[in-house]
Amino acid sequence: MNKEISDLVQDFFEHDYILSEELATAIFLLENLEKPLLLEGSPGVGKTMVAQTLAQHLNTDLIRLQCYEGLDVNTTIYEWNYQKQLLHMNLFEKENDRKALGKKIFGMEYILKRPLLESISAEKPVVLLIDEIDRADEEFEAYLLELLSDFQISIPELGTVKAVSKPLVILTSNRTRELSDALRRRCLYHWVEYPSKEKEIEIIHKKLPRIDQDLAEQVVVFIHNLRKSSLNKPPGIAESLDWAKTLLLLNAHHITDDIIQNTIGCVLKHQDDIDFVRNKTVQEFLYPID
Amino acid sequence: MVELQKTFRERLVDFTFYCKERQFMLSPQQTREAFEISRRGFMLDRKLFHYSLKSIYCTRKEHFDRFDEMFDRFWSRYYNELLEPRDIKVKPKKKKSTSSSVIFLGAEFNIPQKEEKKETKQTKGANQTVRLRMTDFSKVDVEDKQKLEELAEELFHQMSMRFKRRLKSAKMGRIDVRRTIRKNVPRGGVMLDLAYRKKRKEKRKVVFLLDISGSMDTYSFYLLKYILVLKRYFKTLEFFTFSTELTHITPMLRENNESEILKQIGSEVTTWSSGTKIGDCLTTFLSDYGSKFLSQKHIVVILSDGLETGNVTQLKEAVRTIRRKCKTLVWLNPLKGMEGYQPIQKGMVNVMPHLDAFESAHNLDSLMKLEKLLMDV
Repeated sequence: MNKEISDLVQDFFEHDYILSEELATAIFLLENLEKPLLLEGSPGVGKTMVAQTLAQHLNTDLIRLQCYEGLDVNTTIYEWNYQKQLLHMNLFEKENDRKALGKKIFGMEYILKRPLLESISAEKPVVLLIDEIDRADEEFEAYLLELLSDFQISIPELGTVKAVSKPLVILTSNRTRELSDALRRRCLYHWVEYPSKEKEIEIIHKKLPRIDQDLAEQVVVFIHNLRKSSLNKPPGIAESLDWAKTLLLLNAHHITDDIIQNTIGCVLKHQDDIDFVRNKTVQEFLYPID
Repeated sequence: MVELQKTFRERLVDFTFYCKERQFMLSPQQTREAFEISRRGFMLDRKLFHYSLKSIYCTRKEHFDRFDEMFDRFWSRYYNELLEPRDIKVKPKKKKSTSSSVIFLGAEFNIPQKEEKKETKQTKGANQTVRLRMTDFSKVDVEDKQKLEELAEELFHQMSMRFKRRLKSAKMGRIDVRRTIRKNVPRGGVMLDLAYRKKRKEKRKVVFLLDISGSMDTYSFYLLKYILVLKRYFKTLEFFTFSTELTHITPMLRENNESEILKQIGSEVTTWSSGTKIGDCLTTFLSDYGSKFLSQKHIVVILSDGLETGNVTQLKEAVRTIRRKCKTLVWLNPLKGMEGYQPIQKGMVNVMPHLDAFESAHNLDSLMKLEKLLMDV
């Protein structure tokens, strides 16, 4: 493995994130080519966590923008501080030079910075996480294009604001809708898969060092078999960890039918899925299917 | 920085064209970046070069899934020659395809891996795309099948983007007084920004009935993929397959992963390639699902060659009733694409008077034309 990539993997490991070589290469390029990285994958595979760990690794701030339908410029880029502008106008009402007054109240000090503007105004490069971009509208994707390709934002009253330092941008998507090709073209891409059994056991051990090897293996085999069943919402890594933590708290050494009945809510979040599992015996999910 | 050899530069450009031919959306920017990482010495380490190109060239999961196999096929010889002395013959490593295609009804939609020779002969470009778009699904040879699947995937993706844009409602409408006041509180109550309210444009409701009998074998796979793309853009899309029995497929569509859906349908529907009893199946549809899925808001699309082996009167009655109960009835018949085809079979003759539209669905081009038909109804 390349030295820089292996250092990155090691450093992420120390920050409790187990990186694959492929994803490590994508992150390495994100830093070196100064190009945003689009991470797609099923919910709960650790996409958001990549950005959080990257910020820790670089010892910098993480600016997070959680997307939702209806997101607009005012909540993501900037908004004029109207109260401050009104106050200023009232204070200098009698001033003769109206033009100068107008110019003043549309200056940078009257702007409320929202996450995107904040990320390009920071002195030191920050990690900008645009989370679940697939939840936002297409218009918002269009707003992003300028930022993602040129690291600048155009404000009609002020002109173009160029980045003081280029942020490291990570976008995540659960693929609930297709993103535009224009956005995709501007990004590096990585599809985050569910981890292999070995890797997931390693993750559980890393996060819960006290867990028994057998129990960790049982949890992972069970979860992997669940992912192969056609469920409404297959469990992610977060669910594996929650469940393992619960089993530790209950001092369980093995997964039994009783434990499934009482704790399956940590793993499955749909009633149909819960019924599906409850109607089967634990043994059906504990044999590795490969 | 590393000085790149002419042969390497040419190979990288060839690889870029190869990717473009496999439906990767690449612009000069990506090629520039590929050269940049090569100059930085990434190409000296095969894995690093592989993963870096993968990040740069892939823009969607479908590309991501097939990139490894493409990279190995294209670059294996180059890296083997770098490592081995020149006089030793290097056998290119054969890798199994990782493509997500599915085997349906014994008809294999994945291609055997015999494509080493393609390494340098990738010059067909746009002409090939046009040719594939016009090729009848039933006449696609083994060599072209994978390319056709990839092209279909790309065209359906582009179509889905167009659908999405057209179904978006405008922002102007009636002024929403309550939201306008709320929105302008920070401006001291001065009404600078107006909020609008508009009735949400209702998405169309559509019912697809796909014939999966033996005579439709070669078409069913592509039509199924087409329907899966459409499912995202209709408020309600109900999907049934029929041959000798009717099967309600919609509950299987909740899975997000298309290849998983295809696998599930392939394994759970047991009547693939059987006989054709269209009249029987449509009567079952009417009695079991008619009250739920037929209304003046529904478009019904039947995809079948109309080669009825059952009772023709029953078929005629069923089609007439469906037409009466729905908004539009469309029949897509792959045979219509054949030169000189006339709907003179008993089945088709009886249903023709009740159809709003009768179109072909035998190649990608005809499927793309349906986009307009579905948008206009």
